Amino acid sequence: MKQEQTKHRPKRYGMVIDLDKCTGCGSCMVACMAENNVPFKKDESDKLLSITWMRVYKITNGKSFPDSDICYIPRPCQHCAGQHEGHSPCVSVCPATATDYSRETGIVSQIYTRCFGCRYCMAACPYHARYFNWWDPVWPDGMEKYLNPDVSPRMRGVVEKCSFCFHRYQAAKDKAYLEGRRVVEEDEYQTACTQACPAGAIVFGDLNNPDHLVHKLVKPDLKNGGRPRNPEVFRLLERLGTNPKVYYKSSRQWVRKAGDNYLPGEKPGAVIQKSHS
Amino acid sequence: MKVDRRSFLSLLIGGAAGTALSPLPWKLTDDLSIWTQNWPWTPVPQRGESYYETTTCTLCPGGCGVKVRKIDERCVKIEGADEHPVNKGGVCILGLSGLQLLYGPTRIKTPLKRVGEKGEGKWRSISWQEALDELASRLKQVRSKGTPEKAACLLDGIDGTVGRLFQRLMTVYGSPNLFCMPAAEDASKAALKLAGGSAVRAGFDLEEADFVLSFGCGLLDGWGSPVRVFKANSSWKDGHTTVVQVEPRLSNTAAKADHWLAVKPGSEAELALAMANVIIGRNLYDSEFISNYCDNFEGLKRLVALHTPETAAAATGLGPETIVKWAVEFARASRPVALYGRGQGRASAGSLRDCMAIMLLNALVGGFNRSGGMWIVPEYDYIAWQEPELDEVARAGLERPRADGSGGGKDGLTLSLVQRLLGTDAEQLPEVLMVARCNPVYSLAGSGGVEDNFRKIPFVVSFSSFMDETAAMADLVLPEHLYLETLEDVPVSAGLNFPLIGLCRPVTEPQFNTMALGEIVIRLAGIMGGTVAGAFQWDDYETCLKETLENKWETLEEQGFWYDSGFRPPAWDQAFGDAGGKFRLAGGKIDEILEAEEITPAGDPAQFPLVLVPYDSIRLANGYIGDPPFMIKSVWDDVLEGKDVCIQINPATARKYAVAEGKVVHLVTPVGKARVKVHLDEAVMPGIVCIPRGLGHTAYDAYLAGKGINVNALIGSMEEAASGFDAAWGIRAKLA
Amino acid sequence: MDSALIPEGVKRCPTWKFLLALAIAGAVLLWGVVAMLMVWFKGLNQTNMNDYYGFALWIWADLAFIALGGGAFFTGLLRYIFGIKELKNIINYAVLIGFICYSSALLILAIDIGQPLRGWFIFWHANVHSMLTEVAFCLSCYFAVLCIEYLPLVLENRQLDRVPFFHNLSHNMHETMAVFAATGAFLSFFHQGSLGGVSGVLFGRPFSFRTGINVWPWTFFLFTWSAAAYGPCFTLSITWLTEKISGKKLVKDNVVELLAKIAGWMIITYVVAKIIDTVYWATVTAPSLGFKWTFFYSNNPLYGKWILLTEIVICGIIPGLLLISGPTRRNPTTRIIALLLGVLGVSINRWVMVLQVMAVPVMSFDKWVLYYPSWQEVATTLLPVAYGVIMILISYRYLPIFPQEAELNPVDSVSASDGVELEDGQQDEKEAQTDGQAVPAEA
Ligand SMILES: Nc1nc2c(c(=O)[nH]1)N[C@H]1C(S)=C(S)[C@@H](COP(=O)(O)OP(=O)(O)OC[C@H]3O[C@@H](n4cnc5c(=O)[nH]c(N)nc54)[C@H](O)[C@@H]3O)O[C@H]1N2
Ligand SMILES: Nc1nc2c(c(=O)[nH]1)N[C@H]1C(S)=C(S)[C@@H](COP(=O)(O)OP(=O)(O)OC[C@H]3O[C@@H](n4cnc5c(=O)[nH]c(N)nc54)[C@H](O)[C@@H]3O)O[C@H]1N2
Ligand code: SF4
Ligand code: SF4
Ligand code: SF4
Ligand code: SF4
Ligand code: SF4
Repeated sequence: MKQEQTKHRPKRYGMVIDLDKCTGCGSCMVACMAENNVPFKKDESDKLLSITWMRVYKITNGKSFPDSDICYIPRPCQHCAGQHEGHSPCVSVCPATATDYSRETGIVSQIYTRCFGCRYCMAACPYHARYFNWWDPVWPDGMEKYLNPDVSPRMRGVVEKCSFCFHRYQAAKDKAYLEGRRVVEEDEYQTACTQACPAGAIVFGDLNNPDHLVHKLVKPDLKNGGRPRNPEVFRLLERLGTNPKVYYKSSRQWVRKAGDNYLPGEKPGAVIQKSHS
Repeated sequence: MKVDRRSFLSLLIGGAAGTALSPLPWKLTDDLSIWTQNWPWTPVPQRGESYYETTTCTLCPGGCGVKVRKIDERCVKIEGADEHPVNKGGVCILGLSGLQLLYGPTRIKTPLKRVGEKGEGKWRSISWQEALDELASRLKQVRSKGTPEKAACLLDGIDGTVGRLFQRLMTVYGSPNLFCMPAAEDASKAALKLAGGSAVRAGFDLEEADFVLSFGCGLLDGWGSPVRVFKANSSWKDGHTTVVQVEPRLSNTAAKADHWLAVKPGSEAELALAMANVIIGRNLYDSEFISNYCDNFEGLKRLVALHTPETAAAATGLGPETIVKWAVEFARASRPVALYGRGQGRASAGSLRDCMAIMLLNALVGGFNRSGGMWIVPEYDYIAWQEPELDEVARAGLERPRADGSGGGKDGLTLSLVQRLLGTDAEQLPEVLMVARCNPVYSLAGSGGVEDNFRKIPFVVSFSSFMDETAAMADLVLPEHLYLETLEDVPVSAGLNFPLIGLCRPVTEPQFNTMALGEIVIRLAGIMGGTVAGAFQWDDYETCLKETLENKWETLEEQGFWYDSGFRPPAWDQAFGDAGGKFRLAGGKIDEILEAEEITPAGDPAQFPLVLVPYDSIRLANGYIGDPPFMIKSVWDDVLEGKDVCIQINPATARKYAVAEGKVVHLVTPVGKARVKVHLDEAVMPGIVCIPRGLGHTAYDAYLAGKGINVNALIGSMEEAASGFDAAWGIRAKLA
Repeated sequence: MDSALIPEGVKRCPTWKFLLALAIAGAVLLWGVVAMLMVWFKGLNQTNMNDYYGFALWIWADLAFIALGGGAFFTGLLRYIFGIKELKNIINYAVLIGFICYSSALLILAIDIGQPLRGWFIFWHANVHSMLTEVAFCLSCYFAVLCIEYLPLVLENRQLDRVPFFHNLSHNMHETMAVFAATGAFLSFFHQGSLGGVSGVLFGRPFSFRTGINVWPWTFFLFTWSAAAYGPCFTLSITWLTEKISGKKLVKDNVVELLAKIAGWMIITYVVAKIIDTVYWATVTAPSLGFKWTFFYSNNPLYGKWILLTEIVICGIIPGLLLISGPTRRNPTTRIIALLLGVLGVSINRWVMVLQVMAVPVMSFDKWVLYYPSWQEVATTLLPVAYGVIMILISYRYLPIFPQEAELNPVDSVSASDGVELEDGQQDEKEAQTDGQAVPAEA
């Protein structure tokens, strides 16, 4: 009965990252690099030239010692749905349809072999989630042995980004089909970063599925662009109307406030997202 | 002529139009674009059968269970093993990068013999037979002079079979000079020993604690078994455990703690003793435990009477009321635990005074062997080999004093006073030094002096799998397998409150001409002959391992680890096992230790107004294993900028010494000088300069070498008089 | 030497001077070509662009060239559709400049993309929702139109014109030019607009995002309007520069003044629209996204309120007023100042809409990021400039670009034959004669 229900409902895969638990350890970053054949160079200290599908930002409360505080914000692609489903900032601008919004899963894909490297999508993404292959990817002799065959290494001159480990979804789906099932269970499709996080700070699943933990944590207001109803949960740049599927949870008010921009005197939470088209 | 010109033009135009309309240009365009999608220099990973193999990660003492995803014979990904009691599916950033070590350019591919000057990097590849013969003959030479103590051995630890094989080798050979790299665990074992326990170690029931008082432990920076502690931290968040971090810098741990007590570095013991003072003064201690299972409470009272919140306030920089408040909260919690071990707890043992004082806090609240507290766990005893038969030379050698002047593990407190063997002030250097699984040339304080000493040691043997700084200074390199290629037992301590032996097993064929370290020892002994060979009767290491672990082997093979799931710590009356079984709170050596002055960093404050405090970061492997490319990639841009490391200083400090964000300055300490960049950070106490450990490698590969500075080269060792531990946690410094 | 190619009734500088000028421009061109090849073969790592600056100097140059080339479509519109006859005396040059600007823009795009060999995917896998798709289609179509507009001019070269087919072709093309001009104006309206749309639709970038009509943000209309307003300023500035360099009057004052006056009114109306847009954005759009407009002009070393002031007042209101007021328009000095300010103004606008957009932090914990171009970027940006200079040198020398030139500069054979130039001139003329005889004999 329940299977019947979930079968027809389109999935909206999303994430909740608990910023109280996230320790900034970087496991998610490296799990992602290892899973997705992300290349590396000899000098990666310039973060404007460093491909990290998952990047952990460090934010501070701006206060001086000893009242200073730090919080880490892991930032994969937010898989924005946009104001009307599919109108993601990046997808809407790509001239060659090299990045696409899946209505089946809500995942924003990137097709490396079609991308011709105009970088318009990068200009469009306010989260800096998109990375350009400025160089040919080079693995030192022998190291190409560890490359994952499920994810094709990218060539120079194209844009890449977090795919919510889509190949894992495909594998899970194939497995389900092979076993005669129509439903991919919550634990069958988990992203590499979620799996690796030693703090268990990342939760991944179908936001549309009330049985999934992400749904329970976010309590998304589906009629209202998926805005979280849990007051401790927020999204980055909610006010821009990007409608992301990555949510953050924090018990600290200053952290929640850092998720968006506010005019002096505005109170987070009191501001309703403006809709525009 | 007429026709020519016109027809030429027609041909040109017609030809152009014709070509444009033909399929040729479109086909070519299409082909070219397809070519860009299949550039031959962009690798295409081979497909194949996908499956997992499990093993144990040994890249740090954490002991996590990992599974390696394989495609045919290739290892493509390391993930955490879900059913493993230590990491429960999690895996740290280093563990995840393991394949970059396995397949990386920094591996040593075959035994090497030095041909150039020491450290020059000129090598000749030799066969294993040649290599083992060479080492054996060197060892025999030293022994034939009747000075077997002149051969020394430096390891990361001696808990497992491989460490024990080395220990056995040194014993039958006749040298007391077996050393281990220092770690905070040495101090806690020593403290337990002084308190009356023997063959025990400290474990912490972290998950169950409801109040964690951490004295600078980098709980989220790689302390203990890192993944386990991360998981515990998350359970604290869910369960509302209070975490208080005592530290001069807002580390990851401090940032995630509920309360950060920013104290002056080096004042931890003062704070702990003052807290003890408060707890005793307000009768908040566990009187049942104290009166029935502890010795000399009166002595302790006398000791702590001198350490009031007021005196500690001056030392720590905290207000007396803050000290009182947290002492009271700690004592009133139902399952409090106080933790010792700066940073990752692996850079040095630290001071025994700190460790003692913090352990006393656990004692006062009756926190031993109790849910959420500090457990006294017996040391592993599964290696029960027959005592080896010793010849005359060996017996005589073993009677001679150790190079560190201590009794070693027998009657001294520790095997880890390495600074006396190799440090700047080392007096007697060995003639042959064997180094395995550690990188003293890089890791020891005053590493510049250590390197000089390595030049003076006539024969250095490295068993490293990587061309690290120590291997680079060696005369002979006998590369061992990497953990993913080898079979070995991994007894885990690292603060674990239960016994667990992991099994490291080969998930891939050895990539290069390397050998299992245990196998190297057994073969070496065989070549040595005599009583030495006699002590190693196993056919090979695998046999040795299986025999040793006989009754656990099946479990180990089956699930990849063995552990006592029902392990409960002994009740208070048996906590120490031996006669009396009481916890000694004061008296004798304990008094001597606690009454000592706090360790102050070297240097004249007038000349060096600042204090340099290194810190550990989970994103920087700082021991024998260097940061693999993925990890270096994750290092923050306010830590590493190009080749420069950034020092963290408070903006107030910067104003005082007129340096600005991004400025390149020289950081000068009494022992060294280095170029650094300034990064202003409110997270650091004024007057303090922070630098991460783990940078400034000169060896390994182009992805790691030459980035930043090695902070160990800026710091000298500082011995704690009563224990001999190198307790230097920093050094005075200035910016120039 | 090449006098046979030189239009009749006009005088050109000696060949050596021409060749020297070509050589200088050619050297810059070559430098640019080297840089271009480096970028193509080694990749975009040759630039200083990065993941924050996906769009940088080149996209600015692209947008600026296209805006400046806007003189072509707008003058064409005035000449052929609105039938302003006087403008026929400058339309050729406007078309040439437009042609140069647009071919440069296309070249820059081919250098700018990471996978030049896949550039055609923009047509093949076109996403109709993307402003860049619209740009690509309209830009290529309009470039084709410009080619068609430029071709008859080429065919009017003295030698080519002797081929009857070419002669008739160019004649017939002139006849139908109104159709192309109309098409061009229509296409330009869209691609200038969609270039404005490129940044205007970025709803993730509050600095450039604009509300608008239907799918078109206000910047869509502002870009078209500004190109129409400032494009002629560029045409006139280049005409002025050509006159200065050649030392001749090439276009009559009444023509220049007429176009300048139209440009003036266009600028004024544009600036009014721009001010309204800015005020609406600053008081409604940006605040609704959580930003105070001053945020975009503070806490960084470069972008202050001065840039807004320069763009709108100094390079907008002032040149507009100078050009609509008779005395300042007629005064050559104030006129050229106004024209140059206009050129600067639209360039600043395009800069702001490309580079400042990238510089502004959006996430509250992001930082301002500034960028400076690498020499390869500078060289490849100068490449089209050199190419344009060469195109103008050649076109001016061999094509009857300025219909009024002969009338304004009657060639006096006596005065033309003294000094050192004489020998060259004579020699040229001799060659021209032999050559000139040969051709009719053949035809
Ligand atoms: N052994 C075997 N080989 C075959 C075939 C076979 O049946 N068996 N079939 C052949 C046929 S018919 C075909 S079409 C080819 C297919 O060959 P490939 O095109 O190589 O097919 P895939 O492996 O399905 O997918 C390619 C890559 O796309 C990634 N990917 C998945 N989703 C997305 C996305 O949304 N965006 C982006 N950018 N990447 C994504 C996947 O992770 C994978 O790395 O294989 C051929 N080769
Ligand atoms: N889950 C999942 N589904 C997929 C894909 C995926 O990656 N995952 N990939 C998609 C893609 S790219 C493709 S091309 C399709 C392919 O889907 P199919 O076209 O269904 O491909 P095959 O599975 O190769 O099956 C073809 C059948 O043809 C038979 N056959 C082989 N040779 C001959 C012959 O000479 N004559 C005849 N009559 N039969 C022959 C084979 O035995 C087999 O039964 O699958 C699509 N569906
Ligand atoms: S792995 Fe988890 S804890 Fe570590 S940085 Fe990522 S989200 Fe945070
Ligand atoms: S985060 Fe950026 S790349 Fe990802 S969907 Fe949103 S706009 Fe696109
Ligand atoms: S860079 Fe690639 S994915 Fe991005 S907009 Fe251009 S073609 Fe599309
Ligand atoms: S979901 Fe997958 S692709 Fe995205 S950041 Fe996590 S590991 Fe990387
Ligand atoms: S914590 Fe230590 S043992 Fe565990 S995965 Fe990381 S490096 Fe390996």
